[in-house]
Amino acid sequence: MVMAEGTAVLRRNRPGTKAQDFYSWPDESFEEMDSTLAVQQYIQQNIRADCSNIDKILEPPEGQDEGVWKYEHLRQFCLELNGLAVKLQSECHPDTCTQMTATEQWIFLCAAHKTPKEVWIYFVKSCNFMGQHYRLSKVSIKESSVAKLGSVCRRIYRIFSHAYFHHRQIFDEYENETFLCHRFTKFVMKYNLMSKDNLIVPILEEEVQNSVAGESEA
Amino acid sequence: GAQGWCRESRQIPGIVGRPPRRPQPERGAARAQIAFLQGERKGQENLKKDLVRRIKMLEYALKQERAKYHKLKYGTELNQGDMKPPNYDSDEGNETEIQPQPNSQLIWKQGRQLLRQYLQEVGYTDTILDVKSKRVRALLGLSSDASEKENRNQEPMVNGTESQMKENAMIGKPDLTDSASLLETFKFLENAAADFSDEEDEEDIEGREKTIIDTSTIVRKRVLSDSSEDRDTEEALKEFDFLVTSDEGDGESRSSGDGTDWEKEDQCLMPEAWNVDQGVITKLKEQYKKERKGKKGVKRPNRSKLQDMLANLRDVDDLPSLQPSVTPPSRPSSSRLIEHEINRTDEVEALTFPPSSGKSFIMGTDEALENELGLGELAGLTVANEADSLTYDIANNKDALRKTWNPKFTLRSHFDGIRGLAFHPVEPVLITASEDHTLKMWNLQKTAPAKKSASLDVEPIYTFRAHNGPVLCVVMSSSGEQCYSGGTDGLIHGWNTTNPNIDPYDSYDPSVLRGAFVGHTDAVWGLVYSAAHQRLLSCSADGTIRLWKATEIAPALNVFNDNQELGIPSSVDLVSSDPSLMVASFNSGHTSIFNMETRQRVLTLESGVDSTISSSCQINRVISHPTLPISITAHEDRHIKFYDNNTGKLIHSMVAHLDAVTSLAVDPNGLYLMSGSHDCSIRLWNLESKTCIQEFTAHRKKFDESIHDVAFHPSKCYIASAGADALAKVFV
Repeated sequence: MVMAEGTAVLRRNRPGTKAQDFYSWPDESFEEMDSTLAVQQYIQQNIRADCSNIDKILEPPEGQDEGVWKYEHLRQFCLELNGLAVKLQSECHPDTCTQMTATEQWIFLCAAHKTPKEVWIYFVKSCNFMGQHYRLSKVSIKESSVAKLGSVCRRIYRIFSHAYFHHRQIFDEYENETFLCHRFTKFVMKYNLMSKDNLIVPILEEEVQNSVAGESEA
Repeated sequence: GAQGWCRESRQIPGIVGRPPRRPQPERGAARAQIAFLQGERKGQENLKKDLVRRIKMLEYALKQERAKYHKLKYGTELNQGDMKPPNYDSDEGNETEIQPQPNSQLIWKQGRQLLRQYLQEVGYTDTILDVKSKRVRALLGLSSDASEKENRNQEPMVNGTESQMKENAMIGKPDLTDSASLLETFKFLENAAADFSDEEDEEDIEGREKTIIDTSTIVRKRVLSDSSEDRDTEEALKEFDFLVTSDEGDGESRSSGDGTDWEKEDQCLMPEAWNVDQGVITKLKEQYKKERKGKKGVKRPNRSKLQDMLANLRDVDDLPSLQPSVTPPSRPSSSRLIEHEINRTDEVEALTFPPSSGKSFIMGTDEALENELGLGELAGLTVANEADSLTYDIANNKDALRKTWNPKFTLRSHFDGIRGLAFHPVEPVLITASEDHTLKMWNLQKTAPAKKSASLDVEPIYTFRAHNGPVLCVVMSSSGEQCYSGGTDGLIHGWNTTNPNIDPYDSYDPSVLRGAFVGHTDAVWGLVYSAAHQRLLSCSADGTIRLWKATEIAPALNVFNDNQELGIPSSVDLVSSDPSLMVASFNSGHTSIFNMETRQRVLTLESGVDSTISSSCQINRVISHPTLPISITAHEDRHIKFYDNNTGKLIHSMVAHLDAVTSLAVDPNGLYLMSGSHDCSIRLWNLESKTCIQEFTAHRKKFDESIHDVAFHPSKCYIASAGADALAKVFV
C-alpha cells in the first residue's frame, strides 16, 4: 500500500489494510522522524526490516540518550513477549506449571504473593511497571528509573528461562520467528543490566562459539 | 482597583439625598420588634457567617485564578487589589479597605448619635428585652406563627435526615403563603427597607471605630454585626457580577485551555488551586441570591418589620428602592433547608444523569464538575431546589452552562498504538484494543493517585491475550458480560469480561477466553454488536462482511460482498432506525446499506466518487445516528459527510479536521457528534447546527497516525479516545 510517488508518503495503516501490508511503508531515517515517539518508531522499523540483525537493532542512533534507548527497548521486549505469552497460554496452565521455575534449583518468589504463582504474575508486573513509567519524558529519563530497569530485565528473563526449560518447543518456534531471546541476551549484556550468572538460557555460549572463539567462560 | 470601584458605586446611591433623621418612636412596637429580632438573629448568625465564608472563599479562588490566568496570558502580575486569603473568623480584612466619603461620614455620625441616644433613653438591656419579647409577641399575635416556623426550620439542621427534609419542604409552602401575606402587609415599606440595609453598611464602618470608645448597647452591636455580614455577602455577589461581565469574552476561549489545568488540580482542595468555571460561578451566584431572597422572605419576615420600624423612626418612606436584590422575594426557597451536608453525592449523581432529558446529559453536569473540582461544601450551595434551576435563564447562559469536557484519566499501560475502544454499557469500565497484541480492561473508579502529577492513575485490571498480532477493534455486548475483538490475525475472539474488581495480579483464568470466530482470512477491522438479535457483524481486509451468532462459537451466518464489487470494507455499523439493516463503508469511497437477512444491497449512498480505488477517497468510519435515519461517514480527505438513509442523498458535507478523520461517535441522545483525526485533535459537534463546540488535542503522532478511535459511554458522563501514542484518554 505504498503511496504514489511524488506525493508525500503517509505512513498509515488505514482501515481495510491487509495484514501483510501492515507497516509496509518506506523506511524513514531517524533524523527525519520528527514525532515524539521517534525512538520507538526507529526500533520497530529496524526490527521489521530484519529481526535477526540484532546488532543493527541495538545500535542507537547518534546522540541518542542512553536511558531512553534502553527504556524503549525494554518496552519493545515487553510488547513482543505478548506474542510468546499467547503461545505459552495454550500450554502453561496453573495445574501444570504451578511454580515459576526454570530449573529445579530456581524457584522464584514474588514479594506480593506468599506462594509461588505462575509465570503471568511476573509478566503482568513487569508489563505494568513499564506501562506506568511510560509517562516519563521521551527525551530523557530519570536515573532512578534507569536503575529499576535491571529488575524489570530479571523478571522478563524468567519468562524466557521458564519457556526454555519447560516449553522448549514453543520457545524454539518463537525464537526462530523473532530472535527475541537472542536480542534480549545481547541487550542486557551490552548495557550490563544483568550478571552473566543469571543468564541460564544457553544462548550466550552458542553466540560466543559461533562468532568469536575467544572467551570461553559464560 | 476593580473591587474598589464596585464598593464605591454601591455605596454612593445610598448616601445621596438622605434626609436627617427625626425619631418618632412608636415605642411599644419598636421594643417588641427589637427583642424578637434578637432572638431570631442569634440562630441565624452562624448560618450566615458560614455562607459569607463560602462566598469569600469562592471570591478568593476566583481572584487567584484571574491572577494566574493574567500572568499566563500577559506574563505580568495582575493588580487586582487585595489578594489576601479570606479570614474566616472575622470580617476585618474587608472592612479596612472601605473608605467612605468624609461628607457622608459626618451625616452618619450625627444620625448614629441620635439613634444611640434614643436607644439609651429607652434603656433596654438584653434581659429586659428577652423577658418582654414573649409578651410582646403574644400581643402582636405573631408568636405562634413565627416560632412554629422557626422550629420547623431548625429541624433538618439538627437531624439532617432526608425524610424530614421533604416533610419540611412540603410544610414550607403553607408557611410561605403566610409569610407572603405578611410581607404583603409590609410591601409599602420595601423601599425603605432596602435603603436601610444600605444604610447599615455605612453605620457599620463607623461602628467599628466608635464601639471601642462608646459603650453602645448590646442591641446595637448585634444590629451591626448582622448587617456587616449582609453587606459582605452582597459585596461578594457584586464582585461576582463584575467578574462575570468582564470575563464573558474570555470565557469561551478559556474553556478549552482550562481543561489541562483541571487534570492537575481536580484533586486539590486548596483554594488557590481552584480552577473556577465561569458558568459555575454564575450559577452559584444566582442560586445564592435566590437563597438569600428566600431567606429574607421566609425565614426572616421580621427583618422587614425591623426595617419598617427603623424606617418609621427615620421618616424616610419616600426614598426610592436602590437595591433590587434586597427586595423581599415572591418565591419559596425550601432549598436553603438543604444544609449542604446531606448526601451530596447522591444528588450530584441524580443531576448528572437525568433519565428523561437529553440535553442535560451534556449540559447538566456542572454539578458533577464542581464536585470533581473539590469545591467541597460549596457544591452544596448549588444543589438548590429544582424550581430554582428550572427558572434559571438557560437561554442567556447556554454557553456558560454547556458541558465542557476535560481530561481526567490517561491510561498508560499499552506498549503500542491503541486501535479500538469499548465502554461497558453501565459500569465505568473501558476496554482498549492495542497493536501490542493485547486488550486491557480498565475500571475508571479504581484509581490510584499518581506520584508526580495531580492527575489520577488507572491501572489495567485485566489484560486479554490471545491475538497473534495487533488487535484492531473491540465491542462489548449489551449486557457487558462479553466482549469481542478482531485483529490482524483474522480472528474474532469472544471474551467473558471479568469482574471489574478483580485483582490484577490474579492468575490467568482460561474461562475468560471463550473462543475464536473463524472465517475471515485477513485482518478484521470493524466489529459491531447487535443487541436486538445478539448478532455480531465484522468487516475484514479479506473484502467480506460477516454476520455471526454472538452467543456461540460457530461459522458465520452470512457473508456479504464476497465478490468485492465495492472494494474492501473499512467500517460497518447497524442502522439504528431499522434493525434488519446494516451500513458499511469501503476503501473505494462507497457506502452501502445491506439487509442482513436477505443479504441484498438495499441502497448505495451517493458518494460522488468514481469506482477507481484510490486512497484519497477512503472512508475510515461509518456510523448510524442513534435516533435519526442518518449515516455519518469519516473520510481520509478530512471530510465528514451526512447521508439520508432513505434516499441515499448527501445531506451535509464538511471539512471537519486538518487531516484524515479516523473515528466518529454520537452521544447516546443523538445531539452531539465526536470526531477524531490524525491531526491529533478531537472535535465535538452540535449535530443540529453542525458547528464545532469543542476541540482538544489529545494524542501525539506515531508515524503519521494519531487518533484511532473515540467513544461515548452509553450511560455515564465519560468520553474516551485511543491514540497511536499507546495512550487512551478519558474525559469527563
